[in-house]
Amino acid sequence: MPCLAIDHVSKSFGGLKALDNASFSLEAGELVGLIGPNGSGKTTLLNILSGHLSCDSGTVRLDGKPITGLHPEALARRGVLRMFQLTRSFPRMSAFDNLLVTGCALGLTLPGAEKRALGLLEDLSLTRIMNLNAGQLSGGQQKLLEFGSCFMVPPRIALLDEPFAAVHPTLKEIMSGFIRRRHAEGQTFIVVSHDLPVIVELCPRSVCMNAGRVIADESTRAVLTDKVVIEAYLGEAAA
Amino acid sequence: MASAHPINRKLQTEFAASLVLLAFVGVLPAFVTNAYWQGVVVVSMYFAMLAVAWNILAGYTGQFSLAPAAFGMIGAYTTGLLSYYYGLTAIVGVPAAIVVAGVIGLVLGRIVLRLRGPYLALTTLSFAEIMRLVISNSIDFTRGDLGLNVPGIFDSRLAYYYMMLAVLLAIQVGLFYLLRSRAGLYLRAIRDDEIAAASRGVLIVYWKTFAFTLSAAICGLAGALYGHFAQFVSPELGLLSQTGVVISMVVIGGLGTMVGPIGGALLVYVLSEFLRDFGNYQLVVFAFLVIIFARFFREGLWGLLLAAFGRPGRPAAAATAAE
Repeated sequence: MPCLAIDHVSKSFGGLKALDNASFSLEAGELVGLIGPNGSGKTTLLNILSGHLSCDSGTVRLDGKPITGLHPEALARRGVLRMFQLTRSFPRMSAFDNLLVTGCALGLTLPGAEKRALGLLEDLSLTRIMNLNAGQLSGGQQKLLEFGSCFMVPPRIALLDEPFAAVHPTLKEIMSGFIRRRHAEGQTFIVVSHDLPVIVELCPRSVCMNAGRVIADESTRAVLTDKVVIEAYLGEAAA
Repeated sequence: MASAHPINRKLQTEFAASLVLLAFVGVLPAFVTNAYWQGVVVVSMYFAMLAVAWNILAGYTGQFSLAPAAFGMIGAYTTGLLSYYYGLTAIVGVPAAIVVAGVIGLVLGRIVLRLRGPYLALTTLSFAEIMRLVISNSIDFTRGDLGLNVPGIFDSRLAYYYMMLAVLLAIQVGLFYLLRSRAGLYLRAIRDDEIAAASRGVLIVYWKTFAFTLSAAICGLAGALYGHFAQFVSPELGLLSQTGVVISMVVIGGLGTMVGPIGGALLVYVLSEFLRDFGNYQLVVFAFLVIIFARFFREGLWGLLLAAFGRPGRPAAAATAAE
């Protein structure tokens, strides 16, 4: 049984078909890159997977059980954790407390969450700034913090929306190293990114979307050499 | 480990400061023997309770309600009507006031659950005005603007004084333990970013409703105690200007801090007694102060105090203000 199955999901905003019968599935432990030009429906799909949007038709199943239409808090509690493209943190709480919120909300005790948070901060090289308010951190550090809070309790699946966008190369390396280690331990991921070199390096498999449709779904190298994908990115002439 | 945790340090400092303040209030009658001025402090403790309750919503949960005085009025009328119609004493009336205000707070909390910012403020404002007008116009039931006489609890003013002080202390201690628990984390997370909090598994509906219920229940308690002290309740308790006073107390004292509302309430109310001769100009003075504090000193007097003692506290960007 796939860990996550997306089955003929469609979503329109007025006359715009943001998702058009999108389907693909992930096995547990897979690290899948989700790519596609701007406006291809990647974030809309992630919003549906994390409960921030409802779909017009189709179903999403987590471990075989339908999760379509559940609220974000219910999905987080089932292990669907999500990182936003535009960073969302708790600006007037310390970095440490930011992590504690997720840990406690997902069932850890306060001392348990504190222990886990200290470990994560260490892992992400954020220990130095743990007592600063999230709002005082740099954009990259805030991203790293939000990234970290997805892993306070190992999620069933982590949905990362553009984790590497506008992030300093050092922080990018910290994040991709972290993803690699967690993947080796069996963590399941969907990573949305425009940073194709990182996708090639990290993700064995990629799904490419264009105009709300899944246009390619195979090994990352094969996807990137796919004629349809090149056409979607660069136009017909280039292909 | 938990005590080394910075939010707990901040909370502990504020809590300790508020205890010092309450201790000061505790020894005050040794110097202020005038019954009138003791009464002024009693009323300021009533306002302090409303301010603490409002701060739970605005300062810690980011919900800008305009109904604290209305809930105080509801509490006062609950015990007032129970004694007027059934001859029940404060032993029944005060707990009933807590429950009635809490339940109405819960209902209001559910209604405004999805509202934010100005919409939330306007809805709670309408609620407060409706409540006041219903009480004021239900003349057959509440005697309307004539108000209700409420039996007192004690004969001595000092007994009221220390009752109010004990209740305020109990509220403050309870709040301290609440805020240093997981609940405190969730409330502040909701204040900072509701969407982020939800996507990390925080039960938004539950905790927002919780904050509304708790805040309303504390206001109800405060109102009931005030009613028994004043031995009279009237719809004026629920006037919007009363809520304005509560807000100015919290903003001047320090929004989102444990000590600010109490310090602000004592200061503003006692000061307003001195300004009484100027009539309504006292409101102008406080409104002006609120503007100054909201614009330049987001952490209120408490923040200024911290800065003065060399602890920069937190920079203005991180200041605790309701949006």
